[in-house]
Amino acid sequence: MITFNSVSLIYPHSLHTVFEDLSFTIDEGEMVLVIGATGSGKSSLLRLINGLVPHHTGGILAGDISVDGISTSLTKPGGLAHLIGIVGQNPAHGFVTDTVEEELVFGMEALNFAPDVMRKRVEEILDLLSLAHLRARSISTLSGGEQQRVAIGSALVMHPKVLVLDEPTSALDPIAAEEVLSILHRLVHDLGLTVVVSEHKLERVIGFADRIIAISADGKAEIDIPEEILKKSPIAPPIVHLARALNLDAVGTSVREVRRMTTHLRDFAPLVSDSQLATGKTVVWVDSLSHSYGEKVALRNISLEFKSGEITAVMGRNGAGKSTLFKSIVGFHKASGGQIKVLGTDPVELRGRQRLATIGYIPQEPSDLLIHSSVEKECAESDQDNGLTPGSTFAFLARLAPTINRQAHPRDLSEGQRLSLVLALILCSAPDVLIMDEPTRGLDYQAKSLLVDTLVSYSRNLGKCVLIATHDVELVAEVADRVVFLADGDVVADGSTLDVLLSSPAFAPQVAKVMSPAPWLTVKDALRGIAQATGKDSLS
Amino acid sequence: MKKTADVYRLSLQSKFVLTFTSVVALTGFVWPFFYVGNLHWIFVIAIAASALLLVSEIGIGSIDAKSIALLGVMSAFITLLRPLGAGAAGLEPIWFALIIAARVFGPSWGFLLGITSMTTSALLTGGVGPWLAYQIFAAGWIGLLAGALPQKFAGRLIRGAAEKVLLIAFGIVASFAFGILMDLQFWPWVLGSNTQLSYIPGGALSENLSRFITFHFASSMAWDIPRAILTSILIVLTATPFLRALRRTYFKAAFLTPIEFKESARTVS
Repeated sequence: MITFNSVSLIYPHSLHTVFEDLSFTIDEGEMVLVIGATGSGKSSLLRLINGLVPHHTGGILAGDISVDGISTSLTKPGGLAHLIGIVGQNPAHGFVTDTVEEELVFGMEALNFAPDVMRKRVEEILDLLSLAHLRARSISTLSGGEQQRVAIGSALVMHPKVLVLDEPTSALDPIAAEEVLSILHRLVHDLGLTVVVSEHKLERVIGFADRIIAISADGKAEIDIPEEILKKSPIAPPIVHLARALNLDAVGTSVREVRRMTTHLRDFAPLVSDSQLATGKTVVWVDSLSHSYGEKVALRNISLEFKSGEITAVMGRNGAGKSTLFKSIVGFHKASGGQIKVLGTDPVELRGRQRLATIGYIPQEPSDLLIHSSVEKECAESDQDNGLTPGSTFAFLARLAPTINRQAHPRDLSEGQRLSLVLALILCSAPDVLIMDEPTRGLDYQAKSLLVDTLVSYSRNLGKCVLIATHDVELVAEVADRVVFLADGDVVADGSTLDVLLSSPAFAPQVAKVMSPAPWLTVKDALRGIAQATGKDSLS
Repeated sequence: MKKTADVYRLSLQSKFVLTFTSVVALTGFVWPFFYVGNLHWIFVIAIAASALLLVSEIGIGSIDAKSIALLGVMSAFITLLRPLGAGAAGLEPIWFALIIAARVFGPSWGFLLGITSMTTSALLTGGVGPWLAYQIFAAGWIGLLAGALPQKFAGRLIRGAAEKVLLIAFGIVASFAFGILMDLQFWPWVLGSNTQLSYIPGGALSENLSRFITFHFASSMAWDIPRAILTSILIVLTATPFLRALRRTYFKAAFLTPIEFKESARTVS
């Protein structure tokens, strides 16, 4: 269906070869996953398929690419619109109309379909993607998973033979991600659609992929079945790291497989958990906090305390009240009921430098904090705001992201570099509370482990209080001491990470699922646990 | 060598249609000085028809997806700005945006932005009527001229403070020109026939011109001056970041970037 024949690509204004001599064939009805570090060219590869690269971006393309027998060098992207559906990273950026039904029709209107055909197709897609009950809804009121389904639907109404998705589940909570992926799975199996998808959160998609294209930093790429690629790929989900660490014969792609391979290791696992909560002083004190937006109640009578030297993860569905809780603590609004004190002060009253030194807040979209035209200017402003010697913010940043370009525009940075920049800007004023809303969206494993190290050292070494809202259970397992679980504006669970994550199968990290009932959340935990249980360091 | 699509440029045929319709429209503004009879309704219809002709001519020409997208976003932005000023006393916060955007994306695109943003914003503010076609042309011309302002002076790019001064000067001229054009369009009808400032059908050009100028100064300077001041202030405040953002967009959109298709590297070497 898709053929790349020794393809090389160079972008304009650049000497760097994105791909070199790339050849592979994707068959009809295959689901192929594209993996690679940030900046390795995953998005470029996807956009080569429908010709957006180089027709829209310019550049030098060597070799040929054909889709269903049509060469992309001779046909412009518009001429492939009926054949290839493409869904971008953030579905909200691609919507052109207000309601679900209109959005589904829009593409067909542009291609001049007959009205009765459009009617029929809209009904068909509404059923196929289980969107019928949302048909008249305004798109902006939908949840992330629903929006992603609408975006997929509006690509599918044209009956394409190929569907290309750029990180379709990165921004979704685990359940919404599952929803989107199972629909993709069904499309591949029931309709014989060819699907090419890139994704950072491998643990979610690996089970669905027929083959993987792994792009390495030097522009080489390999295509093979998941088991083969994952044997050596540096980018791998936690279960693969576990399988490697335990020296298993094969790597499994599902929890079930790895669980079967490790029965012998679980026999002697100790079943006691040794977790304990931090005992620092209370930094954030929330007392019977309530908040509502008009009719809608976002938080209901919540009382919590957050201590210094403790990393707390706030979890829960989209709309559970996580962001509202954080915004109240930051002091964006006066809560409708209850009280908040951050180090004894109401956060609404914090001003200027005192605010900088008390609360650091990184919103869901970190670039909202970036206003200057270069990394250098952002850092200089931060030095000035915090009364630091010029250059100290940049020095801090250089430790987080050594390869960052001073002159780069903040919006041209990769997600990982951008988060490093924002972290540097916020952390150099050493706030007593650091609050991050969904920090791992769009981050690859490397950037994530950098984030984990930074947060852990900030909280342990400097004794600061860190709060993160996230859907990413693997991150929580790595970094958090304590988990607060919100649902519908109430706190439904609050306890050590181990207790909370192990008590809910849907939210357990992969390693915990494999090793259950042993209380281990990460590969590191499992290795240490097994070593203790067997009384020797058999695995190193 | 092949290149990605350029930002929208008028084709030769479109330029011809633009010139022709502009002459019709300009005649529609100034005929009262030269003609005895009443051509008002004829020109209301002729100008509206010219505007339609122009839009359909441009519509069948090839506008690249990127230029369309830019046009859509900027028109929406200007449309949202327009109700903020409500048009009262000439406080129209749309001209600075039109001028700055046209400066970056050139005269052809600037002309298009003028007509689309004037049309869409009229729908939002309820200002649809015989005058709309006149306003569309006036806004289109302002976009066209703003886009045609020189980019270089004595071999050096006009950027920074010099550019700001240039844009402010143009903003002031455009603010007054727009006032004069709009006055021309209704002065013959608004006063009745027997005041000191009324239009005299068939009167001498000098007489009518002096009456018009007096009328304009007496009535509409109160609109032109605030319009010019507001436009200048907004240019001073926003030009630097706004130009920077739009130029970055221009760069990112990769207009006229070379595309090269080669045989595969393997077969070449």
